[in-house]
Amino acid sequence: MKPFDIVIVGGGGAGLYAAMEAMKTNPALNIAVLSKVYPNRSHTSAAQGGANAALGNKAKDDTVEMHIFDTIKGSDYLADQDAVEVLCSEAPKIIRELENIGTPWSRMEDNTIAQRPFGGAGRPRCCYCADKTGHTILQTLYEQCLRKGVIFFNEYFALNLSVIGSRSRGLIAMNMKSGKVEAFPAKTVIFATGGYAKMYWNRSSNAAGNTGDGQAIAYRAGIPMKDMEFVQFHPTGLRKSGLLVTEGARGEGGFLINKNGERFMARYAKEKMELGPRDLVSRSIETEILEGRGFDSPAGKYIHLDLTHLGADLIKSRLPQIREMSLNFEGVDPIEEPIPVRPTAHYSMGGIDTDNFGRTIMDGVYAAGECACVSVHGANRLGGNSLLDILVFGRIAGHTAAEEAGKFESGTISEAELKESVDQLRSSMQPSGHYERYGALREELGQTLAVNVGIFRESSLLKKGIQDISELKERFKKVRVFDSSDVFNTNLMQVLELKNMLDLSETVAIGALAREESRGSHTRIDFPVRDDEKWHKHTLATLIDGKVAPGEKPVTMGRYELQERTY
Amino acid sequence: MKRYAYYMSCINESMTKEVDRSIDYWQKDLGLEFVKLHEGTCCGGSNLDYVSPKHFALVNARNIALAEKMGLDLIVSCNTCLMTIRTAKKKLDETPALKKEVNDILKREGLEYRGTSEVRHLLWVLVDDVGLDAIKAKVTVPLKNYRIAPFYGCHILRPSTVLGRDNPLAPSSLDQLIEALGGQTIPFEHKNRCCGFHTLLVAEEESLNVAAEALDEAIKAKADFIVTPCPLCHTVLDGYQAKALKQAHIESSIPVFHISEMVGLALGYSAKQLGIKRHIVS
Amino acid sequence: MTGTIDQHQEGKRDVTFRVFRFNPQVDSKPYFDDYTISAERGITVLRALNYIKEHVDATLSFRAFCQAGICGSCGMRVNGISKLACTSQVWDELDKCREPGIIKVEPLRSLPMIKDLIVDMDPLVDKMTHYSNWIETTMPLAEIGKKEFLISEEEFHKYDKATDCILCASCVSECSILRANKEYISPAVLLKSYRMNVDSRDAIHDVRLSELVKDHGVWDCTHCYRCQESCVKSIPIMEAIHAIREDALESRGPKDTSGAKHAEAFMEDIEKKGKLVEATLPIRTNGMVWTLRNLLPMAMKMIVKRRTPPPPPLVKSAKGIKIFRSMFREMTEHVKQDHQKSHKK
Repeated sequence: MKPFDIVIVGGGGAGLYAAMEAMKTNPALNIAVLSKVYPNRSHTSAAQGGANAALGNKAKDDTVEMHIFDTIKGSDYLADQDAVEVLCSEAPKIIRELENIGTPWSRMEDNTIAQRPFGGAGRPRCCYCADKTGHTILQTLYEQCLRKGVIFFNEYFALNLSVIGSRSRGLIAMNMKSGKVEAFPAKTVIFATGGYAKMYWNRSSNAAGNTGDGQAIAYRAGIPMKDMEFVQFHPTGLRKSGLLVTEGARGEGGFLINKNGERFMARYAKEKMELGPRDLVSRSIETEILEGRGFDSPAGKYIHLDLTHLGADLIKSRLPQIREMSLNFEGVDPIEEPIPVRPTAHYSMGGIDTDNFGRTIMDGVYAAGECACVSVHGANRLGGNSLLDILVFGRIAGHTAAEEAGKFESGTISEAELKESVDQLRSSMQPSGHYERYGALREELGQTLAVNVGIFRESSLLKKGIQDISELKERFKKVRVFDSSDVFNTNLMQVLELKNMLDLSETVAIGALAREESRGSHTRIDFPVRDDEKWHKHTLATLIDGKVAPGEKPVTMGRYELQERTY
Repeated sequence: MKRYAYYMSCINESMTKEVDRSIDYWQKDLGLEFVKLHEGTCCGGSNLDYVSPKHFALVNARNIALAEKMGLDLIVSCNTCLMTIRTAKKKLDETPALKKEVNDILKREGLEYRGTSEVRHLLWVLVDDVGLDAIKAKVTVPLKNYRIAPFYGCHILRPSTVLGRDNPLAPSSLDQLIEALGGQTIPFEHKNRCCGFHTLLVAEEESLNVAAEALDEAIKAKADFIVTPCPLCHTVLDGYQAKALKQAHIESSIPVFHISEMVGLALGYSAKQLGIKRHIVS
Repeated sequence: MTGTIDQHQEGKRDVTFRVFRFNPQVDSKPYFDDYTISAERGITVLRALNYIKEHVDATLSFRAFCQAGICGSCGMRVNGISKLACTSQVWDELDKCREPGIIKVEPLRSLPMIKDLIVDMDPLVDKMTHYSNWIETTMPLAEIGKKEFLISEEEFHKYDKATDCILCASCVSECSILRANKEYISPAVLLKSYRMNVDSRDAIHDVRLSELVKDHGVWDCTHCYRCQESCVKSIPIMEAIHAIREDALESRGPKDTSGAKHAEAFMEDIEKKGKLVEATLPIRTNGMVWTLRNLLPMAMKMIVKRRTPPPPPLVKSAKGIKIFRSMFREMTEHVKQDHQKSHKK
């Protein structure tokens, strides 16, 4: 295989935009995008809400500065303020660029890009396309990549980085169609593989494949993970499946109602009500449920998201996807009845530690999108900022890698190294005697995380969680892969994904136990207050000698001093 | 007597004359009177719609208005005419501005499209209006021992938003008619598939490929004949049968009937009377 | 599908899934495996397949990702019809079984098989590339990102439904012409091409259209409507295909391709006689040489059966054709005025 200048792992919004930007920066580079699914399937497509930008179309007095402040406040002051400045200042240009190349943004009466209110935002600045914003952005980017002739390696499962000393020589991946393990020698590698919230399994809104592959590979190669304990629970996931009901439903005027028919958000966020930031609303719903004011059912406890007062026309034109999902997965028509919802693990603020240019600590390795932690979202992400994040930092990472590829020498990945990867795979396939079922382990992992490392955390629960994970990792050694074929072995792939989730889950639980305060989406019942003195810092988790070695990193401050965060 | 305005499809006046001819024989026997609409014009096939949407609307508003003037529903015995006129009707009913524009012109002939007449297929009239029991009662030569492949044809089923009488995935009206006439329907995958008519002149090879698949299945299932409610499908499956099977390297043949002929036969009329001798495949 | 939440009935019954299997590494030809599981009311086909994979046969391979009807990964045929497995209710499928209690599951048609329910999407991606399914922006490079194009609600509506397409390939699988010839453009690609062509931000409308009217392009659609009927997002795909044809006739003229000539002939005949002159239709569509070569043998047979369409002079006009013609022409004036108005904009 000819050595690449850049290999991008992941074909979602961040990966595709990185590819486009890299090509633009230096058309002579040999660039490839590697994805375990066809790029248009990536989870970016599920983002329903929109992308924030201070365009000033809807609210003429909106400014980039307000967007910066909202984001920093929303992050519970854990975001790096210089990174947030980059995020918000780049936003208007990026949204308009996407528009210029064909993204079908919804429009306002004056034909400019429409914007709507979103959780935690001081002005309505969320740009959207009905409730399919992520889908249309992803399609547009994929179309442009086809136009530009981007080289794709579709349905390749990334296995590990090839590392020598302190830098990477490229990637080793499995070609799903043939089962062959192939080497991708590359001067630079950009991880853009998405989040890890799926480790919560049934209590997650994520696609089945959001198993944190990029993070796990980087982690195993010794690259630090940052702020892993911060997992965002989206307030409204469908009761049975965990699938997401977009914040847009509340943006369009939906109510959250408990069993007493009360719009209970009045007690938790008097001003913002249903449009408070996600962590606040999730905690509110969870509290209502825990205190007995939720509904009960065989599928678990929940509350109502009521859209009935919005009318059939609005629901059909602005929220058609939600209506479809509600009908398909809950058997409920939101025009007639409220939708049963409860919080669901939705987004991972934590991820691969990068600087503002997408660089990790390892030479030649970069990361962008949900799999990275810059950090722009700190302890809690605002709705509409993720689509923005992946575009802004996807592009930055592509640009950085393109500029820096020249200073690295190309390396080779030896046959021996490839063989070792192959052997490692095969060895896990046929344990003798007693074996474990990967499905059971996966569900148990999700269970223990939902209970012990969920919305409300506490020392003894977290310790139990860590213990459980440790046992699961031990049991994983005996997992059996039944499908021995080379062709499209999804059995093997799912087992490898489980391994990634197990490896990462440790960092989440350990990080949550270590952080003895409550901040953003991390709520400790035993430490209910934000402790700026001791804990205004990022946590790091690095794999050293097979164990999680904790670390820390200061938060870059700026114009905004620490304040109490109320809505 | 149930009276209906009867739409004269272009193909029934030129090539498949046996359709109208056979209906003339037995309509009274089933208590039906079809008043031929000689002022009607071509519906536009499935082409006029995109050559000029407005002319399409005008021409078919007129066809329906002629029936409305008589106070009768408009009955059609060609699938594409059915789908086309019903599509036009839907557009007119849903777009008041278009309806007005069209009616302003129709005034010249003293016509007005009001939307009061239904547009339906002969098959539906037989099954829904006459009723299966009434038909059964009139059968003198039951088609027993005949294994019959029901080929519905696309445009009597799809798009279901325009047609809607049968479930496009599991249509039943033609099957029921066959059974009422004493015949035996065979399980037929291609019952709701295409015959390829509309691309005969533009992509002949593909069309014949499509037709050959349907013919092949019927032949392999040892059907005695194929019956179809559409003269366009009939033209392909009968008229082009030899060419289609030759292209597919299949040596065999199978007769193809119109529903009007099948009804006529069961009601005791002769093949000669019904015009069956006009078919290409004997 | 609706029912009040609290009265959730959890009926359960045994359901057999008859699933298509094929592993080219070991199988010489495809076969079916039967899996009988206890399914409760409300579960989807995908959840059933997941269950089978996890608990019964881990070798069963299929694509799945979002499990929410958004990503389009799990397109397959269930009881013969192409759709998404993750939004198909097992209970609803039971009504459609050929053999009671046995749900047939097969891969999508007309795309190369890889394994079990997994087909190769590359041919579709290649076609999207060939037909330029992207916006080539009219914004000069130096200006990109500075401000947005102003797009009216009217224009947005033109392509809004078309952008719902998740490339699940159900329409591709159902298409009658694609089944007959793998080179055919495919409904999904026609839909995307339409979406690009009606976007005012795009610069290559003419180039794209010139490709669409070639062989295996838009004129090869036989209007069977299977694509529209099976679309999991209920997109009126045929409307898009018709719109491309209307556009082709307008931009490239009625004599541009045989498809265009064929369509135009309908208009001409209706204006003149109110009825089609079928005898000359093949000649006007494809020319005398083609007609003699392709249809002469058939014509002979038809002459014997006295089945030939009448020659032009003998085609009887519709009754009342004169007044019909005047109304037809009045509409022609309307259409001309519409064009002038829209070109002024």
